Amino acid sequence: MLKTKHYILMIVTLLSLSIHSQSNYEKGMEKAFSFWELGDINAAEQLFERIANAEPTEWLPNYYIAQINSLKSWEEKDATIIKAQLDKAQSYLDIAKSISKDNPEIMVLQAHIYTNWVVFDGAFYGMKYGATISELYENAFKIDPENPRVVFSKADWAYGSAQYFGQDTTPYCKEIKESLELFANFKPVSKFAPNWGLERAVQVLNECK
Amino acid sequence: MRLFIFIILLFSSISGVSQSIVSGKVLDNKNNPIEGANVYLDGTYDGSTTNDKGEFSFITDASGENTLKVSFLSFETLSLTKEVSELNNLQIELREDINALDTVVISAGTFSAGDNSKISVLKPLDVVTTASALGDFVGALQTLPGTTTVAEDGRLFVRGGEAEETQIFIDGIRVFTPYVPTTNNTPTRGRYSPFLFDGITFSTGGYSAEYGQALSSVLLLNTIEEPNQEKTDIGIMSVGAALGHTEKWESSSLSVNGAYINLAPYIALFPDRNHWIKPFQGGSGEAVFRKNLSQGLLKMYSAFEFSSFDLIQEDINFPEGIHNKLKNKNLYFNSSYKGVLNDNWSVFGGLSYTYNYSKFEVIDDKIDDKENSFHAKFKLKHNFSSRFKLNIGAEYFSTNFKENYDNPVINEVSYGFKNNITAVYSEADIFFSKNLALKAGLRLEYSDLFKELTLSPRMSLAYKTSAKSQISLAYGNFYQNPNNNILKFNQDLDAESTRHYILNYQLNNDGKIFRAEAYYKQYDDLIKFDTEYADFSSNYSNSGTAYAKGIDLFWRDNKSINNLDYWISYSYLDSERNYKNYPATATPNFVNTHNLSVVTKYWIENWKSQVGMSYGFASGRTYTNPNIEGFLNQKTKSYNSLSLNWSYLISQQKILYFSVNNVLGIKNINGYQYADVPDSNGNYARRALRPAADQFFFVGFFWTISENGTDNQLDNL
Repeated sequence: MLKTKHYILMIVTLLSLSIHSQSNYEKGMEKAFSFWELGDINAAEQLFERIANAEPTEWLPNYYIAQINSLKSWEEKDATIIKAQLDKAQSYLDIAKSISKDNPEIMVLQAHIYTNWVVFDGAFYGMKYGATISELYENAFKIDPENPRVVFSKADWAYGSAQYFGQDTTPYCKEIKESLELFANFKPVSKFAPNWGLERAVQVLNECK
Repeated sequence: MRLFIFIILLFSSISGVSQSIVSGKVLDNKNNPIEGANVYLDGTYDGSTTNDKGEFSFITDASGENTLKVSFLSFETLSLTKEVSELNNLQIELREDINALDTVVISAGTFSAGDNSKISVLKPLDVVTTASALGDFVGALQTLPGTTTVAEDGRLFVRGGEAEETQIFIDGIRVFTPYVPTTNNTPTRGRYSPFLFDGITFSTGGYSAEYGQALSSVLLLNTIEEPNQEKTDIGIMSVGAALGHTEKWESSSLSVNGAYINLAPYIALFPDRNHWIKPFQGGSGEAVFRKNLSQGLLKMYSAFEFSSFDLIQEDINFPEGIHNKLKNKNLYFNSSYKGVLNDNWSVFGGLSYTYNYSKFEVIDDKIDDKENSFHAKFKLKHNFSSRFKLNIGAEYFSTNFKENYDNPVINEVSYGFKNNITAVYSEADIFFSKNLALKAGLRLEYSDLFKELTLSPRMSLAYKTSAKSQISLAYGNFYQNPNNNILKFNQDLDAESTRHYILNYQLNNDGKIFRAEAYYKQYDDLIKFDTEYADFSSNYSNSGTAYAKGIDLFWRDNKSINNLDYWISYSYLDSERNYKNYPATATPNFVNTHNLSVVTKYWIENWKSQVGMSYGFASGRTYTNPNIEGFLNQKTKSYNSLSLNWSYLISQQKILYFSVNNVLGIKNINGYQYADVPDSNGNYARRALRPAADQFFFVGFFWTISENGTDNQLDNL
């Protein structure tokens, strides 16, 4: 009798602990997103770092640290800081990659980080990453042709190049338009899974017309 | 019921009855507060950010021994393990991360291209877009300070040194015969395609103990580790054609390149000063294979090349000219492995093999040269910490040279030598802080041929003087065995030696780079001989000496004017030698006192074109005029050349390229050749040594075919 009681006790305790842990992750992620929404991007980033550190099997906190640093580099003027931010974004994205392999969302963010390098110094990184960016979009599209971020980012990159060379941009504008529909119907696989990009797609589509 | 109460009690204890406060202050090494540092307990969600006073404070449910982590961009992350109850009122000092970009860099003597260095002055693409370079990596480096203009030669002459004093390495492994053979009035080119390399480091002195058998300079070329996509490259040029293909697999890739050059059509259109019987033609093939292994990368590179020409050259002593014929075959193989053993140890191993065969015919002389050389190298690197790294290595060079000489009036003779060298070295990189770094090394070499042991200490020190500037000092001892032209006749000699003293200042300000370097070089044990030409009858000794001193300036700016990137190099060189068969100390004929290079690249958005210009100026070189007293007693007029190029992007994958060297058609003179005997008035007649052609035109069309359809070599100039 005593034995059974002990078992029950242990099971209940373990159960409660795991529920506890699960909710910690959710609470943490929710809090980080609320910091982000309130504009305190540094607080969000640091909380994601703590979560990433505490949850070595979750790719999402690493993914968002990478995304935050990639976005931060747009605002930054100091070349040394831009490089440090893009390096930080890369190192966290590498962790995300090691947890979740062949993930089209990670491929898109990787392409975005490389694009930021190209924007930072076209003469050098354009040659280095130009072809890799295209290849990343191709591969992501092969895996998930219905993902709106994949479809939009791929079309946006091709649109930019075509515009630059004075070639016809209509097919890419059409693809961007199609991505809007994918955005509308997109259901993220989990509460915290990537679900961004619609605003930028609308913005680019307006330029298209 | 009792169980229920127990569970409730258990729960409440888990959800944190015993909360503790973690608090403290984060400072840098100068006791300034660090704002915005991330402070947290490892493995938990509990943490906080430091305020403007560097203070943090947060509540945690954790108990017992825990690790506090403090991280901040460009500082080393700090870990502190203690009982949670003791983690309050802490005073934490963060150490600067010496891997951060603003750390001091040992830069004396070194120019880098690529992103493997924080002090890059060139980009890999600069090699192909510099107007005067014609796609040759050596040509692009000649626009950097520290090099002198020896227009008819084309090799790298660095800081008063001869061309042989510069050694070239591919992936850390020596290249024994890096240049294509040419006639003596046409500049040579590097044998290898610039597109295969993504990192170039050119050191004009004071280099690491890892490199030996170079008195003046080393040029380090690194092949691309990971090609970015599968593609086919097609090039059609006014002088030939090239074809390349890259194939990628899961963990490996293969790139192959082939090229054929024939100058016959060009010379038919634009005849030069040589009378060609058979104009230059050459073919080459290159292949690079890369394989990613679990702990490292294996690279294999091989190149095969053949070239030939046959011509009659003007000569003051032979009214009918001198007949010159050459056939050359060259094979180069290089393989290297770079890997990590664990967190602190990394390993490198590599070897190269060179086979070079040249068949010369000069008037009635027939000379056959055969060289078999190999180089094997092994090195280990140990990181004791991010601030202290140790490199140790061992290498073996072997050269087997044979020459066969045949002439109608003498019997055929064969001779040669074996030049084997064993070397070991050790070098430490020490960062005292983000602002002060030291590299100190020692190299020990044993020459089998001379039974001679040499010891070369090397040292460089760098100190950061402000956020954007730094000064560096370098000292080094360098040994090199005499070159093949001496060793084939006499092997009872010693190595030649130099000492370098370098002071460098560098300012790097957002797209603008300024470098100034002063140096002094002392040469000892140079080879001297007592005949007009080195041969078997000469008496040889190591009694020659020389010095070189000067100042090199470099300025590059790609920010001030939109779409314009330019650099200016200036070198002042004062050098005298007493070596070879010099009767007295004199400035040799490969030294220019003043050298100036201006390179510009301007991108014209609406034309999708990059227009490049490069201008080179060099003051006159010495020559001996036998009509007046003295040795190397006069100087030629100064050298001037303006080159232009234009790259036009037809579409994302097609590029049209034009270039013209010496647009203004300036008649440059490299020196004079005097008659062996005076004419009836007792005057020695002379002939100006001019380049084979004053100008050179080049037109090329380059097409890249890839799956994505968006790549070309120049897509973001």
